[in-house]
Amino acid sequence: MPTARTNKQWLTAGTGLLLALCVAVAAGWRALGPQQAPGESEATVQEGDEGLSQPIQFPHDTHAGQFQIDCQYCHFSAERSVDAGIPPVDACMGCHQVVPGRTSPEEVAKLREYHESGTPIPWKRIYKVSDHVTFPHFRHVAAGVECQTCHGQVQEMGVLEAVAPEAGNLKMGWCVSCHLERGASRDCTVCHY
Amino acid sequence: MSDGFGRRDFLKVLGAGGAGAAAGGCSTDQVERLIPYVTPPEEITPGVATWYATTCGECSGGCGVRVRTREGRAVMIEGNPDHPISKGGLCSRGVSALQGLYDPDRIAAPMRAANGSFEPISWDEALELLADRLGTGGRSLFLTGPKGPTEGGFLNRFADALGGRRVVYDPLDDSALREAARIAFGVDAAPRYEIDGADFLVSFGADFLETWLSPVRFSADFASMHGTADGRKGRFVFVGSRLSLTGQNADEWIPARPGSEAQVALAVAGELARRGADAGPYAALVSNTDLASAAAAAGVDADALVELADGFAEGRGLALGPGLAGHHAGATAANLATLVLNAVAGAVGRTMHVDAVADGEASSHRELAQALAEMDAGAYGVAVVSGANPAYSLSPASGFVEAFGNIPFKVAFATAPDETTALADLVLPDAHPMESWSDAMPAPGTYSVRQPVMRPISLFDSRPMSDVLLETGRRIGHDFGAATFREYLRAANRSWLAANGEDAGLVGDPDALWRELLRAGSVSYADTSAKVEALQPPETAVAFDSPSFEGEGELILLVYPSPRFGAGEHANRPWLQELPDPVSKIMWHSWAELNPATAARLGVRSGDVVRVASPEGEVELPAWVYPGVREDVVAVAMGGGHTVYGEMARRFAHGPGVNPMTLLPAVADAESGAPALVATRVSVTPTGEWRRLASTEGSHDQDDRNVAPAVALSALGHGDEGAGADDHSAQEDHHGQLRELQEGGGFVPVPTEGRAEDFPLPGSDFGEYGDDHPRWAMAVDLDKCTGCGACVTACQAENNVPWVGETEVLNGREMHWLRLERYYEAVDASHAGPVDVRFLPMLCQHCNNAPCEPVCPVFAAYHTPDGLNAQAYNRCVGTRYCANNCPYKVRVFNWYGYTNDIPEPMNWQFNPDVTVRDGGVMEKCTFCVQRIRDAGGRAAVEGRDIRDGEVYTACQSVCGADAIVFGNVRDADSRVASAVRDERTYRVLDELINTQPAVHYLKKVVFHDVDEGGH
Repeated sequence: MPTARTNKQWLTAGTGLLLALCVAVAAGWRALGPQQAPGESEATVQEGDEGLSQPIQFPHDTHAGQFQIDCQYCHFSAERSVDAGIPPVDACMGCHQVVPGRTSPEEVAKLREYHESGTPIPWKRIYKVSDHVTFPHFRHVAAGVECQTCHGQVQEMGVLEAVAPEAGNLKMGWCVSCHLERGASRDCTVCHY
Repeated sequence: MSDGFGRRDFLKVLGAGGAGAAAGGCSTDQVERLIPYVTPPEEITPGVATWYATTCGECSGGCGVRVRTREGRAVMIEGNPDHPISKGGLCSRGVSALQGLYDPDRIAAPMRAANGSFEPISWDEALELLADRLGTGGRSLFLTGPKGPTEGGFLNRFADALGGRRVVYDPLDDSALREAARIAFGVDAAPRYEIDGADFLVSFGADFLETWLSPVRFSADFASMHGTADGRKGRFVFVGSRLSLTGQNADEWIPARPGSEAQVALAVAGELARRGADAGPYAALVSNTDLASAAAAAGVDADALVELADGFAEGRGLALGPGLAGHHAGATAANLATLVLNAVAGAVGRTMHVDAVADGEASSHRELAQALAEMDAGAYGVAVVSGANPAYSLSPASGFVEAFGNIPFKVAFATAPDETTALADLVLPDAHPMESWSDAMPAPGTYSVRQPVMRPISLFDSRPMSDVLLETGRRIGHDFGAATFREYLRAANRSWLAANGEDAGLVGDPDALWRELLRAGSVSYADTSAKVEALQPPETAVAFDSPSFEGEGELILLVYPSPRFGAGEHANRPWLQELPDPVSKIMWHSWAELNPATAARLGVRSGDVVRVASPEGEVELPAWVYPGVREDVVAVAMGGGHTVYGEMARRFAHGPGVNPMTLLPAVADAESGAPALVATRVSVTPTGEWRRLASTEGSHDQDDRNVAPAVALSALGHGDEGAGADDHSAQEDHHGQLRELQEGGGFVPVPTEGRAEDFPLPGSDFGEYGDDHPRWAMAVDLDKCTGCGACVTACQAENNVPWVGETEVLNGREMHWLRLERYYEAVDASHAGPVDVRFLPMLCQHCNNAPCEPVCPVFAAYHTPDGLNAQAYNRCVGTRYCANNCPYKVRVFNWYGYTNDIPEPMNWQFNPDVTVRDGGVMEKCTFCVQRIRDAGGRAAVEGRDIRDGEVYTACQSVCGADAIVFGNVRDADSRVASAVRDERTYRVLDELINTQPAVHYLKKVVFHDVDEGGH
């Protein structure tokens, strides 16, 4: 395979780069607080807050906490799909057509901009299981597992946190312990195939 | 590791990276984005597949397919079980449409020829140029492949409106058959054959399981005719000079000399007439024949022809062919002879139907020849080529390239650059069939629609040709009443319903009917077309003698359509390039087939490079010694030797192969004008070079291992004391030895003779193992399997199995999870006699007592509670012990992360439900566990068990012969359980090593006697 060597080199370079990136970001994080992502002028978290800068400061605590909107109202496919579903911009506008946003109208204004220009909101991904893991949301919803079990007390989070402490960083051992507790299968091919 | 960076170092760095990530709080990826829809498409739920029923566009067979899309991308193509033509089957070429769709070589933008190369232009410029030339550039010629009835009708209208001419050209079209039907029945259309209605089938060389007419439909019909049911099966005799895959499926082979088919068929018809059959207007002609002289012309024993006549006299006989592989200068005569034989044998109106409807989209070589002459004379100012690559598929001797060059302005619509687009002045990126609208009418009473299954790929600025022509037409003042071809098709459908709906039994709201059509993919309706059954008086001009062949060489060159590449139009697809040829098991390169006696005479072994020279040219390619070709022929497949097309595939191969068309003289069939593929003698001389064949054929001999046993038809139906009894006692003996060995080695012997449903093994009473789980199992009926290899490609598509390229194939590193073993038991070209070739799809056997599992040091190979032999990729560290211990050689190791070499956008095809494995990991068939888990999840949510048939594997989803059955063997009512109970059932190597596989095979049934042990 003529490209085989290149692949390994890519992996080496890629891994090294990832390592460097992690160290650099970690250092920057501690020293300076959260950085603005390039190309994003406004959407940053407040100094001192922990979390990621998102294109829109979406307060889960307002929506899921204060107004008690059901998680699946926005994450529409959790009960029928492997994916929980990231709400389409249209779904946000369903309410924000008429709700100006009392606490931070400037964030709602950004939402309107996205909607009017027909641009999807480039959310930063917070939760991700590895590529070799299948996590079917619908099975867990059907089994009565609450969203908070894995995602933490989202309804209390102004800024969605990068990790849910209860979830033990979503490591496999944590998944398996829950499967054992609930009598669910702990066979490898339940998640890995 | 030659690059100084070993796996161990890599793991160290990876570990450090992971640690750094944890310490640095980098547990989430800083750069990955989640992009939601702005407005979600109604039909898409993220993570849930959306299926579309459509019509395959890879050949003109008109098979129905269903395409699985995820988040708007096609990821898998399967057969549509509700389709009346293909009945749930699909061939490898159909599955590989995905690689045509995601072909990185696709043309990205319109291009104009300038100074010997091409420059990209905008669609606006292109449309303006096209409109200008079509409007004022002189008479136009539309040279296209066969399109659906509506699209073809539109192209005819368009050409007429411009005062131009449309010629349909399809290198795989059997125009000699249609011409023969015109002479015999007065209808210019190919007859329809119902193979499943016959019990004695004779192919005079037609490769009906591979490329001829409608191979997927024929596979299904052949399986039902030739498969064993209630102790009966139909007989199939192959008459021809080369055993193609179709021939390998025969029960008997009459290795007739090329060109003798007409005489054999007429002599058999004459014999039937002498025995009292009615030959109608052909009585005088057939009475002039006799079996002895036909046998002499064919170079075979006269007894074989007597048996042929007996077969027709005693059963419901049907003759096919001779098809394209035997296309010589007397092809129409040969076809006419088989049609007459069918008429005399009473097959017309029973298993062969002649519809009094001309096929409007059939290719006409006579018209092509006229057009070539007109091109030479400078009659055309503009040419539009689409869906055809005549600069490659017509022989250089035909003079196409020169004639085409005479046209001042040439436009080519194509998805990828090819030999014809290279000659064009304007190249327009056409949409792929998966991205466009069309239709097909594969039989009277069947209408099949083609709809886009996804939006055109954004990387390529393609537009469907019909849309472009509608737009161009408007610019030059020709309005066809529709802005897009979708509208045109919709309107055509509406007006057809208005005119014929009542007669066809299709009444109701046209919109509702249209929606139902899009849902189902096709509609069947009452066929009211007239049928012709009476023979017309013969045309005296037709000569039935053997044609003479040009040249001086001692061998006759057979050029035949490739079961993988057709006439070469699919040569750019790595899946097909790395699909072992069903006959030779060779991948990536061309080869020349030589009889062992011929090879010995020439001093040639398999792999020796030979020079094949005809008066027209010469090619060099490795020889492959094959007992399935006559001594006086050399056979070379079409599809290799591309000079422009096939860039993507060439990146993984050592060369483009050879194009045998360059050897052919400009000889055409006298009646139909179709170019003769068997036309010249050639000399074959060794060059002294040798090259290793990129082949997966370990051995064509079973070496008494009895991997694919057979049972004689006469031995069936004797219950347990039949063929199985010997195996049983043999098993006892072997297992006795096995027990001794195990005990001697200090192992606890596993009880023998365990059935698949006896999982888990006694003693496995820990963990989740229990008998309340399904036990997934498979049954493969080897009596139905035709060895076509569609399952291999489907598996590759479903499971993200990479191709590895020619170099790695030569290193023995091909990665197919499923392969087709092929063994010769009886293949002899020297005389007529039984032929017995065994096919066996070999995949992970999911053994109850799996040898791979105990040797895995990290428990990556283990058994799931529902009986799957699982491979946990994220556990695997790549020791390869499991593969070494697997007696079936079904585990494959990913040496270099081949998936990383798959270029954009071909990797868009990856199935998101299956892990894309990286290098260093062992992998193998999972029984499509992703489908099992998905169905299991849905069933659990609905609070029920998985229904029988709810889970089907990828290999099963395309099998035209319906040879593969999958399901829960613990459910006594399931299809798989009833297949497992069949008296023909056996499990490979189980009697030797007590593996207790979950894959069961049903023995092939043969007419000749098989000796003890199943040979």
